[in-house]
Amino acid sequence: MTKDFAVPPVVFPTGGSSGGANVQQRRFAPIPFQQPPPSSSSQIPFLSFNMGSAAASSATQAGPFGGTISSSSSFGGGSPSFEDEEPLLDELGIHPDQIWKKTRSILNPFRINQTVHKDSDLSGPIFLYLALCLFQLLAGKIQFGVILGWIVVSSIFLYVVFNMLAGRNGNLNLHTCTSLVGYCLLPVVVLSAVSLFVPQGAGVVKYVLAGVFVLWSTRACSTLVVSLADGGEEHRGLIAYACFLIYTLFSLLVIF
Amino acid sequence: MYNNMGPQPGMPRPPGNPQPGPFGNPFTGAGSGFIRGGLGAYGERILGSSSEYVQSNISRYFSDPQYYFQVNDQYVRNKLKVVLFPFLHRGHWTRISEPVGGRLSYKPPIYDINAPDLYIPFMAFGTYVVLAGLSLGLNGKFTPEALNWLFVKGLVGWFLQVMLLKVTLLSLGSGEAPLLDIVAYGGYAFAGLCLAGFSKIMWGYSYYALMPWTCLCTGIFLVKTMKRVLFAEVRSYDSSKHHYLLLFLALVQFPLLIWLGNISVNWLF
Repeated sequence: MTKDFAVPPVVFPTGGSSGGANVQQRRFAPIPFQQPPPSSSSQIPFLSFNMGSAAASSATQAGPFGGTISSSSSFGGGSPSFEDEEPLLDELGIHPDQIWKKTRSILNPFRINQTVHKDSDLSGPIFLYLALCLFQLLAGKIQFGVILGWIVVSSIFLYVVFNMLAGRNGNLNLHTCTSLVGYCLLPVVVLSAVSLFVPQGAGVVKYVLAGVFVLWSTRACSTLVVSLADGGEEHRGLIAYACFLIYTLFSLLVIF
Repeated sequence: MYNNMGPQPGMPRPPGNPQPGPFGNPFTGAGSGFIRGGLGAYGERILGSSSEYVQSNISRYFSDPQYYFQVNDQYVRNKLKVVLFPFLHRGHWTRISEPVGGRLSYKPPIYDINAPDLYIPFMAFGTYVVLAGLSLGLNGKFTPEALNWLFVKGLVGWFLQVMLLKVTLLSLGSGEAPLLDIVAYGGYAFAGLCLAGFSKIMWGYSYYALMPWTCLCTGIFLVKTMKRVLFAEVRSYDSSKHHYLLLFLALVQFPLLIWLGNISVNWLF
């Protein structure tokens, strides 16, 4: 192997030498036979904490393995590129402040801010689903699968009903629909939390509470759906009834 | 296993995220042949914001489902009045037809109170399932699985109604009414069932008065509607055979609706 490999510059946070094959710094040393990295990630040297020692010992194995080792070691990252990586939550697409803003917009039953919900996401609904399952668990009912299935089916139901009613210019898509159905589950989550504290004998209180929260949910969901997708304005009542059916179903799970 | 709200007769489920993304409209892409054949006439309408009308074989068996959802508040209210109190309906029962492109087609439900729609049957079915769950819960027997079985029971009841109507049509003539029409007529029974179920929750004994009333009203509604459908579809009018079959149709409503209205954990009975 007489080919001259370009060793990418290495910057150590501990201020170590660049490109040195020091034994103490063997973990951070660049692999000697490494091929030049592809242009897209040219700034990130291909390092790996585990592969460094193994690769240095097998220095005779060159080109054919260099490609695979460099590609497999690239995902391990190296400490100099750690700051260049995206934060984990961003990479997963979970934005806590956005989730909090959306949740807070539904907390006010009288005035719902629609602009916050324009870009839909599914991580908020998943969080609310887990919260609902947690409160149900505290009440002694293990219903993880049931609630998830019912969320999926009811969002498909609302999607079909809305698009059929709205006609040619209906443009609700399934992602937005699921996101809205999930966020408007918040009152049902609050209901399940509150009903943990209602004494056992007072059935009527539970029903009245459930009615109030279901109406809150319905109002939120129908307002959001009608304002975020075209074609629903003259069918508000019809769509609101569909939402009412969905949230009554969830409240049945909570009350009984 | 999961509760299936809103049954869609033959309507395929949309495959996951329908956003076209960077690959453009999925219906003009490479897979368009499969998608067109598979999803049929209403794929575009269901899957997002496209505005093309896709012709396919499925539209021959299911007439355009969009027609059945052209409803508004006023139509829903009036239609419910017609279904629940059919003898109070002063006007005629025939559907208004208009010539469209050389063929005779019926006006959509917004303009014609006698046209069938699918919104009321679906919502009535959903309300029936919810009310059944509520009454189960009030008797202390609610579990999600029981609700699923009740949903299946409702579906079976709807299917039996449709079969009944279809057999009536077939034995009297050509039976060429569109399938979705018959599904819609069969689903109107659930509106009366919901009323009876609601009254059962409110006050137990009123159920025994309201149930025969519901059966009677549904019977009258179906008889009057089927008479018009038969008139339009069937060429030869054999009077006595017609009348006996229509009477049979009305009488069968009684056991069918009583079975559907009897909500208990054992779904078959």
